Amino acid sequence: MPPRKRPPPPVKASDTPPETKPKLAPPSRPTAAAASPSPASSPGPRPPPVPILPDSILNAFPPPEREIYKLVFSGGDRGMTQTEIRTRTRMQPNTLSRHLRSLTSATKGVLKVVNSVHKRAEKMYMDARIDPSPEITGGTWYRDGQLDSDAVAAARRRCRDQIDRLGGVATADAIFAGIGRDCPSTAYSIEQIRDILRTMALDMELEEVRSTGVGEFSDLRAGRVCYRRGGAPQGGMMEGIPCGVCPRVDECSPDGVISPKTCVYYKKWLQMDF
Amino acid sequence: MVSQHGILLAVSIISDHFGPLVSKVCGCLLRHGALPLQEIVRRLELSPGQVKNSLLVLIQHNCVQAFNSPRGSGDKTATHYLANFDNILHRQRFSKFLSVIRADIPESEALLEGLLQNGRLTFDQLVERTISKVPEGSITPSREEIRMNFNKLVFAHYVERCPKPEPFFDPLVDEQSTSTRKRAKTVEIALSIDKKVVNTASLSDAERFSEIPYIMEDASNANDSTHSSIAGTKRKHNALEVDAELNSTIAENEVLWRANFEKFIFCLKKKFCADRKKPKLKVGTHPIWEAFFEASLIERDNNSVTSPINGILERVGQKEGGTLMTLDHITRVLEELNCNPSSEDPDSFILALGKLEARASKKELSGFELESDLSRIVEASQNEEIESLVKKKYGHAAFTIFRLLVRDGCPMETDKIIDTTILDKQIVYGTLYKLLKDDYIETERILSGTGTGNLQFFVWRVKNTFREQFIDNLYHAALNLRQMVNYIADLLLEGSKDDTKLRNRKNILILALTRHDDSLMLFNGF
Repeated sequence: MPPRKRPPPPVKASDTPPETKPKLAPPSRPTAAAASPSPASSPGPRPPPVPILPDSILNAFPPPEREIYKLVFSGGDRGMTQTEIRTRTRMQPNTLSRHLRSLTSATKGVLKVVNSVHKRAEKMYMDARIDPSPEITGGTWYRDGQLDSDAVAAARRRCRDQIDRLGGVATADAIFAGIGRDCPSTAYSIEQIRDILRTMALDMELEEVRSTGVGEFSDLRAGRVCYRRGGAPQGGMMEGIPCGVCPRVDECSPDGVISPKTCVYYKKWLQMDF
Repeated sequence: MVSQHGILLAVSIISDHFGPLVSKVCGCLLRHGALPLQEIVRRLELSPGQVKNSLLVLIQHNCVQAFNSPRGSGDKTATHYLANFDNILHRQRFSKFLSVIRADIPESEALLEGLLQNGRLTFDQLVERTISKVPEGSITPSREEIRMNFNKLVFAHYVERCPKPEPFFDPLVDEQSTSTRKRAKTVEIALSIDKKVVNTASLSDAERFSEIPYIMEDASNANDSTHSSIAGTKRKHNALEVDAELNSTIAENEVLWRANFEKFIFCLKKKFCADRKKPKLKVGTHPIWEAFFEASLIERDNNSVTSPINGILERVGQKEGGTLMTLDHITRVLEELNCNPSSEDPDSFILALGKLEARASKKELSGFELESDLSRIVEASQNEEIESLVKKKYGHAAFTIFRLLVRDGCPMETDKIIDTTILDKQIVYGTLYKLLKDDYIETERILSGTGTGNLQFFVWRVKNTFREQFIDNLYHAALNLRQMVNYIADLLLEGSKDDTKLRNRKNILILALTRHDDSLMLFNGF
């Protein structure tokens, strides 16, 4: 079964300054490689950067294994699940498993198993020499199919530090340039930085604002999207009383089994025995 | 239509203040809308006398508005009674209203207290009450002094003349005229029947806030003036004098006055917005922000605060560090705080050169006012309240996901949520399920029949009723707090060894209820 193609994300013209071209596309997906065409425009897997194994090697394999290898190789950097291989080759599951074990073994090692972020229940196979695409691995923020929380936290910390260094408010481009200058080993892309900044704005750790060109924005052109440190979170009048966060509020009624008079949360809050 | 717990809360307030019988009548009107007397009697199975007395109490305290409506065909009309939910809720805020007056016109606090306690009074009744409340040995205020203090309340719009007792309102005619206006393609805000009835009963502003006129005693001497030699002028002068005296008599003896809740709510709204924004202000801008609100004069509407620049400058000068601020700095800070000029009079605005005292000697500024749109602050505060509760109840991931869905407003695929929030897939799934279970969000399964197999994926969006649900929870929480206060009050009456402990707990609950009421006003009132 071919992997489901996600529609391309909408191009946000207001967030993309005209003088800066994104290094990678699509913008909402973190990518680890150089520029490549968007998934929606390519009809299938992208052509692998390495050639298929020569016939001199393939002829040494039994015909079924040769067929399996060629099929998996055609999947490119997106790989192929065992189900897809079985569907196309119409092999019995036991037979297929035996052949796949042989191809991935240390003696032959022409195929490898990759964990997919989206299909964790199934193994994915691809040519051992090919790097899996970011759609399979999840990109920079994923490692072995799991979110790399440390990498995300480190990126957030670097963005925060850059904003402080740049005077408290900065554009995504300035933050990206600053991180590249201070931490050249990180090799983030501008789109990855933008993704992190948007996430931090959602968390209210940062505030996304538009420059007015005056005051604290005097160094920035008016209308540019910038980020500054978010203030202390406000609100929370409702959560100060037991009813606000009560998991049983829908079952509570004035004279019911669950009522304020019988409520254990009120008892705890007021520290009194009824 | 008021939500279920809103009705229970209102009934609870009326029951505490006026007893269970009146609260039954009030509850019936809140649940079923405007009803005539016979219908209320039929539904509640009470005697007409009981229902009538209950309605009188509710009308006296501005919780019910009567109006005439056509009955069947022909010219017959029937009196219907409509419960005013907002005014019922305001009853638990009287102490806040008094604190507003205490800060603004302290000498009139006792007069307002009389109106709040009694619902509506004539000026004569208010004078009588004020004199009766004077402690022995204290100086009794004169009638003129009381009138002066009362007119201060009227001038500031804290007090108003009561609306028409039984205006005519025909819902059918109103809907037909509405459709005519629709054909004319004019944009109108859709009002509920309740709001339309209240608007129909309201007096014009000029009449509503018309002060009690003073009768000049010197006017009677004008009759003997040698300047009034022409007989016709003298007769006209007498007639005018009689009219003025009659107007004053009517205003004092017959006109009913009540507290203008709209004004008090607006004062509380200003204070809330001012305090809400303070933690986000940069150092040094607090005095300017406070001065802007303190300098506000008569408001044009309930969504903006307008302050003259002169007033702002004067108040900034009185604050710590204010004298060192230049006019340029102050106006720049105000513009950064979204306080925009409302008057186009650039000639009157001159850049200050130096301290504020020097500036005062230059050309006086006039006609330069600044507005601040409070609705944006209120809306942002509402979102912060709901998001904060989601964070407390479901965790930080839920907070991020919920904000994403609210901000986008359109259905979003699961993978897109994972990509945008950069959260672990399992955490996203679990969080979406929790929010779905508690009706914050909804989902839709999309089937994709492309390729060799059928694929399905889910899209998520916030439920369009999540605000109403939150408001209902607010009412529920207020109801529970009130119930607890009453419960502890009952325990205190029964007598207990832990009296002090119980009183402390009661005070905690009352404070919590007072603070919680700010949330109620934020979502229904501001």
